Amino acid sequence: MGAVTLQDIRLTEYNLENLPLLKQLREGLFNEKPKVCIERARYYTEYLRDMSSDREPAEIRYANAANYFLSKKAPLFFDDNLLAGTTTSKPFGAPVYPEWTGMTIWPELDTISTREKNPLILSKKEAEGLNFDIYPYWMERNILEYTRKKHNNPECMRIFERIVFFIASKAGCISHTVPDYRVALDKGVEYIIEQAASREIELKKDENLSEENRQKLEFYQAIQIAMQGVIAYAQNLGKKAAGLAAKEQDPFRKENFRKMAALCARVPAKPARTFREAVNCIWIVQVAIHAENINMAMSPGRLDQILYEYYKKDIDKGILTVKEAMELVGCLWLKLNDNANLVPETAEELFGGAGTVPAVTVGGVDENGEDAVNDLTYIMLRVTELLKTRDPSLNARYHYEKNAEEYRDRVAEVIVNTKAVPAIHNDVVDIKVLENQGTKLEHARDYAIIGCVELGVSGRSYDASSSIILNLVSGLELALNSGKRPVTGDEQIGPQTGDPSQFKSFVEFREAFENQLRWLMGKGIELNEYFGHTYQEILPSPLLSAFFEGPMEQGKDLISGGALYNSSGATHVGFADTVDSLNAIEKAVFIDKKCTFAELMKALEANFKDHEKLHAYLINKTPKYGTDDPIAVENSRSLIRFLYDFYQGHTNYRGGRYRPGYWTMTNHAGQGKLSRALPNGRKADKVFASGITPVSQAADDLTACLRAVGGLQSECIPSGEALNLKYPFVEGKEDIKRFGQAVEAYFRCGGLHIQFNIMSYEDLIDARNNPEKHPGLLVRVSGYSAYFNDLNEAMKDEIITRTAYDIRTGKAVPLRSASV
Amino acid sequence: MLENMLNYALFRSVRANRVQKQFLNCIESELAEGFTELLLRLMSLVLFLNMDFRRNIKNFRGRYLFRSRDDEITVAAVFRDNRLRVYDKAIANTDVTVTFKDARALMNYILSPKPDILGSILRQDVVIDGNFNYLYKFAYMAKHLQLMATGKA
Repeated sequence: MGAVTLQDIRLTEYNLENLPLLKQLREGLFNEKPKVCIERARYYTEYLRDMSSDREPAEIRYANAANYFLSKKAPLFFDDNLLAGTTTSKPFGAPVYPEWTGMTIWPELDTISTREKNPLILSKKEAEGLNFDIYPYWMERNILEYTRKKHNNPECMRIFERIVFFIASKAGCISHTVPDYRVALDKGVEYIIEQAASREIELKKDENLSEENRQKLEFYQAIQIAMQGVIAYAQNLGKKAAGLAAKEQDPFRKENFRKMAALCARVPAKPARTFREAVNCIWIVQVAIHAENINMAMSPGRLDQILYEYYKKDIDKGILTVKEAMELVGCLWLKLNDNANLVPETAEELFGGAGTVPAVTVGGVDENGEDAVNDLTYIMLRVTELLKTRDPSLNARYHYEKNAEEYRDRVAEVIVNTKAVPAIHNDVVDIKVLENQGTKLEHARDYAIIGCVELGVSGRSYDASSSIILNLVSGLELALNSGKRPVTGDEQIGPQTGDPSQFKSFVEFREAFENQLRWLMGKGIELNEYFGHTYQEILPSPLLSAFFEGPMEQGKDLISGGALYNSSGATHVGFADTVDSLNAIEKAVFIDKKCTFAELMKALEANFKDHEKLHAYLINKTPKYGTDDPIAVENSRSLIRFLYDFYQGHTNYRGGRYRPGYWTMTNHAGQGKLSRALPNGRKADKVFASGITPVSQAADDLTACLRAVGGLQSECIPSGEALNLKYPFVEGKEDIKRFGQAVEAYFRCGGLHIQFNIMSYEDLIDARNNPEKHPGLLVRVSGYSAYFNDLNEAMKDEIITRTAYDIRTGKAVPLRSASV
Repeated sequence: MLENMLNYALFRSVRANRVQKQFLNCIESELAEGFTELLLRLMSLVLFLNMDFRRNIKNFRGRYLFRSRDDEITVAAVFRDNRLRVYDKAIANTDVTVTFKDARALMNYILSPKPDILGSILRQDVVIDGNFNYLYKFAYMAKHLQLMATGKA
């Protein structure tokens, strides 16, 4: 049950001037340049290469590697943060995970420090460590190459490696989940060890262990080993803090070190007793999880719920003030920013700008369906409003029947003041969507956001939500060219579905398109299954498994299906451009007969050069997704349904179903740059619309736009959607009210998610032209936040040209193309 | 120390060598004609002369095939016994085969102005068949060689 006792939910009396610690730490963060950190790669490689054998059970071996690293990981204190623990050995570090994408920077070891886009500082010594010592061990052993060898470089992998069809993310990560921190907070890691030990003892009583029980036994042993590593790291932090306290002269720092020393001696081994212990416990566990799992969308979840009892108890006892709670929450927010992704330069140019997207979720309803908004919800909103950092990716759940309007409007106000965060999620629909996927109602009500916008059941579901990122436009282009794509030349990629100029009806074309999509999705799923089995064989996650409901009870690692709920997510790029292209083909070729299919293809090949009249017609006269036009409504809904039915008919290697979603991160910019002209009038190499958002400038009425997107059968979008909107200005209480009402209206139509940038075209153009004037300008991309200056040019253009709506009239603000 | 000085002197002489000049001219030219052969010849030479650079292939075994899409260029590189051997013909059992549009595409792929592996794949200028990590290693060595040749390493 929610409990709001704050007199002022906006907490206006607190700001960075009277929270000087947060101000100082924030400045430190923004001044810090990211550095490559090889600490984890070095210890893991050392252990796996020199101290163990490929023949050992993978569970035990990887648990030992985690233990070895965590026991040796340097206990470091870089600043005056109140929380102990660092993700890497650098103040702002990009850890190398050679099992996944860590090898991709090998060609850049000499240049990564000075590259143009988002350089990462790498010392000569560490570069040599990677080149001579670490990388050679992994040449045949990372996920990608192990899988390739095992399956003899299958076609699905070769298609993936063309990058323009689909991306199989498991080559680079799984992560993307919401662990259960409650067990560490309420019972302590020693309790997890005891549980695993008692189960191990039970199994050992059987002298003739079955293969299944032998695996369980190894799993329970692995959990204990990994958890001992977590405790060792905390204890090392404690000892170091005690040593620093003894030497420190500054009274504030001395006291801080002293408190951290005491705290680390207690948590996470034993249950947290205070709010401060609880917050630090979460952070240490988060650091430990990243020992084993790559730093990509490992999401802390519903922190306002998980931490509330600790907060309330301390407030009631008088040992914590609101200001102190804000400092601790702020310290956690800043700690969540202490690491970056290791990305090769071209990936930065094409897809970059992302943080590590640890999603925090606040608000909504509790497991009983009652209002869960509490004082901590508002504290977290205020801290977010003050710090304006890229991470954590803050998500506000809103239940229009249970949550108060003042909460809704406060969320809107924070978005206005940060210009971008939080994103808002529809509790009513999200819960139904999860129930429809077989989640128990009380568990569905406890959902939290993973990474960008995906729905996870906190600590109970392993969703691998970014398993497949499929480019829908590639399916469209394959259908237009009978299995070939302009970007891949004359090579027959997909099935031959016929020359479209011979099609007699739109239905025939749609069938060809669906056949191409079926083929592509099948390849994506096939490769994801291969990767999944590779993880099961060589890269299990005993440490992460300990923080979930299910693995302990079943004696099974997460990667083997140990979680209570399982699924794999497939998200889609180019949805709006694909739908609008289908609309255009139906209308122009088969209804209005404005052109033949052959003429349309000719215009596409010429990028509409010398076909200006047809281009103008396609842009202005064909139906657009995001309006009430029945053709657009039908094509958008039938595509959503088609994809949903296909994916749901497939079960993954963990026994869960595939779930489609529509969020694109920055892939819509990168993939757009690689696609030719499309039937909707989009010219070659232009970015696609983001997420599930209508094409920029295509939907000129906000109400119709929200109705169209909200009407997309949300139960068919179980892996989440990202609707990106822009308001050029929101001024005063009335505008905030309108803002909140528009969100609610959209949610009542069925929309799952919405996020905003509060910026005009002119603001953004100025930011692009004068980056030095806008340091730290936060924008929402497609599911996550980024600093505008970190984005590639295509992505900047996409955000600039996104349709801006006047909040008072609901009409699109015209974009004067000359100014772009 | 003595060996380092010797290496330095030898590398200075290599820099004066025609191969290196040709290589530098090649990477600055529009067509990058002969790039693949020159790169491998220079790499082989420097691996022989420079102990530090030779560390890259200590105990390393790798078989590479570079071929242009029109089959005009076919060059193989075999790393074994701490040496690089270059062949003007196709070889079997490669760890990785790189098929490229033209010499310029291959050069963009691994060298100039920066290693652009992903970009080349995205533009479909280069198609890789095999273990990417072998290529990453090769691209690192090539880039390092370029930096050595231009005095920036």
